[in-house]
Amino acid sequence: MTSTLDIPLHVKYIQSLGENKDDLVYHLTAHLRMNAIYWGLTALCVMKHQDALNREEMIEFVMSCWDDEAGAFGAHPDHDAHLLSTLSAIQILIMQDALDRIDVPRVAKYILSLQQPSGVFAGDSFGEIDTRFLYCAVNALSLLGYLHELDVERTVGYIRRCRNFDGGFGAREGAESHAAHVFVCVAALAILDRLDEVDEDMLSWWLAERQVPNGGLNGRPEKLEDVCYSFWVLSAMSVLNKLEWINSEKLIAFILSAQASDVLQGTEPSLQDLEHGGISDRPGDQPDVFHTQFGVAGKSITVRLSILGYPDLEDLDPVYCMPAKLIEARGLRKGWKALPRKVSV
Amino acid sequence: MHGVKRVKYTREALAVKKERDLAKLKEYESLTGEVLARKKAKDWSQEAFDLTTKLLHINPEFYTIWNYRRNILLNGLFPQRTPAQINDLLSDDLSLTTTFLKQHPKVYWIWNHRQWCLQQVPDGPTETDPDGWRHAYWNKELFVVEKMLDADPRNFHAWPYRRYVLAHMPAKRSEQSELAYTKRKIEANFSNFSAWHQRSKVLTSMWEAGKLDKAKSLEEEFELVQNAMYTDPNDQSVWIYHRWLIGPGDNKAIVDREIASIQELLDEQPDSKWCMESLVFYKRLSLRRHGNGMTSEERARLDRECLELLTKLQTIDPDRKQRYVDLARNSPSVQ
Repeated sequence: MTSTLDIPLHVKYIQSLGENKDDLVYHLTAHLRMNAIYWGLTALCVMKHQDALNREEMIEFVMSCWDDEAGAFGAHPDHDAHLLSTLSAIQILIMQDALDRIDVPRVAKYILSLQQPSGVFAGDSFGEIDTRFLYCAVNALSLLGYLHELDVERTVGYIRRCRNFDGGFGAREGAESHAAHVFVCVAALAILDRLDEVDEDMLSWWLAERQVPNGGLNGRPEKLEDVCYSFWVLSAMSVLNKLEWINSEKLIAFILSAQASDVLQGTEPSLQDLEHGGISDRPGDQPDVFHTQFGVAGKSITVRLSILGYPDLEDLDPVYCMPAKLIEARGLRKGWKALPRKVSV
Repeated sequence: MHGVKRVKYTREALAVKKERDLAKLKEYESLTGEVLARKKAKDWSQEAFDLTTKLLHINPEFYTIWNYRRNILLNGLFPQRTPAQINDLLSDDLSLTTTFLKQHPKVYWIWNHRQWCLQQVPDGPTETDPDGWRHAYWNKELFVVEKMLDADPRNFHAWPYRRYVLAHMPAKRSEQSELAYTKRKIEANFSNFSAWHQRSKVLTSMWEAGKLDKAKSLEEEFELVQNAMYTDPNDQSVWIYHRWLIGPGDNKAIVDREIASIQELLDEQPDSKWCMESLVFYKRLSLRRHGNGMTSEERARLDRECLELLTKLQTIDPDRKQRYVDLARNSPSVQ
């Protein structure tokens, strides 16, 4: 039973994701494609295999998702522009060193136009609001070099109103604290140099309490652990410099055991899957497309292991969720701390 | 999909499944192609609308199609209709989303469309009763969201939606009744952090508006929480809520009383991590807030007790060991 990260296997898996064109599920998730590609590319960068996917093809795909009516990117060709896919597009192009392909002022204008009077951002012209979109906007504007055009006070004011009695943050004003929203609010505040808005002791405590007895992390009190959520929790803790407050060894073991497996004899599934290379949210569960395309390829394993100091991986910037080297080169690195990178397993 | 167990297919079953999937795929691609082509051509017809219904039944997460559907309503179907007819169209779409939500209770796009429909409800049925339609819808919405919360009391789409409905209902429910609702949810399951969270919001609002005597209300909350603590001392929801009730710890009598109460529970449950964690927090809070009024012996005692508890916690809750080590390092007596 292997309990190490099989990098070649995961690289192959990510490469295979774009080849599932006969798979109905692949098509049913077209609305997640841009984001899935971003996560796949990020994972490859972290595994030091950026070239495993063709650069020109990827750039072409991104550009084919340009929605000229809106001045931003959709998730897939002919899909409407949205802030989520626009951020992913920008991140992909930066990782591929191709940001010059887009009309930066126009995209910045689209992003800024989505800010609401309350300070939060809508995801698109139909007006759904969520702190996730606030983070997308702040992250994207920062990467594009347009952060100076943002009404920072209004933005921070909204985040402040999302802060709950437990130190955490919700999707909007009044909403319950949830790991994903804790991450987006903390990361947005980090970009805006306003971490003073965070009750660090309280929130770090809340985050540390996400670790459940089997070593995994959940997203809210009394919920089951989930591979998705542990990235948000880890990134937030990295920004707050409190990664030592959880048991990282146990978490690493849990993460590795959740790699989907089919033990050749067909008995109880447990460890690394030598046929599949996918990851499910809990050991034994079907590696579904949401977790594979959306979660697994990127944030489920390599990205989290990077923050946890697993050997032979590139550093990931948890604020921007991109390779740390790139963010540093743009002068955008903030004061976060990952666990020191181990020399060997 | 979370929590779906893996299935091992036989080779034959796999082949049959593959063929069926390919047929479904062809159908899906052809339908998608047609709908997107009509969208590009700005087709706002009934036919186009019906095609979006068909497509959304297969894939309710296809956000671009929801957008198109709304644009068809706005540009194509609404303009030629009376308010009553518009109302009917919206009523149908609300029924559609109810059906979808039963199978996909956590899909953002469905909740969004529902909200959008409610925002479009025209004045009516008459000039003298312009909110009549709205009243009916909002009441129904509350009913729908309560059903969703009965099915899954932690559904974090449903709770914000509930707050949205309560805030926008023309005939507002009282905050008192919302307080009662959260109590019902909590008493059904002390683990329901979402309900505790909602309760914290309603109470804060009522206290700030002077609608409740805060001191009396706090006492009732402490009683509720104590009940929960004793029933299930391992549930973190209760302890987090308790910490909020204590707040900055201004009232020394209350802090001392709660410390004593938790100590009693700890005596019964000597391995209770939450009792120990909370005692450390409250004793230190007391030291910071009321230390000046204490004797140096009392301060030293409290500090020592905290250090002892923190040492025990490192063994009882080893996953979070470093936090307890860090907290011990910050003790005044260690400096």
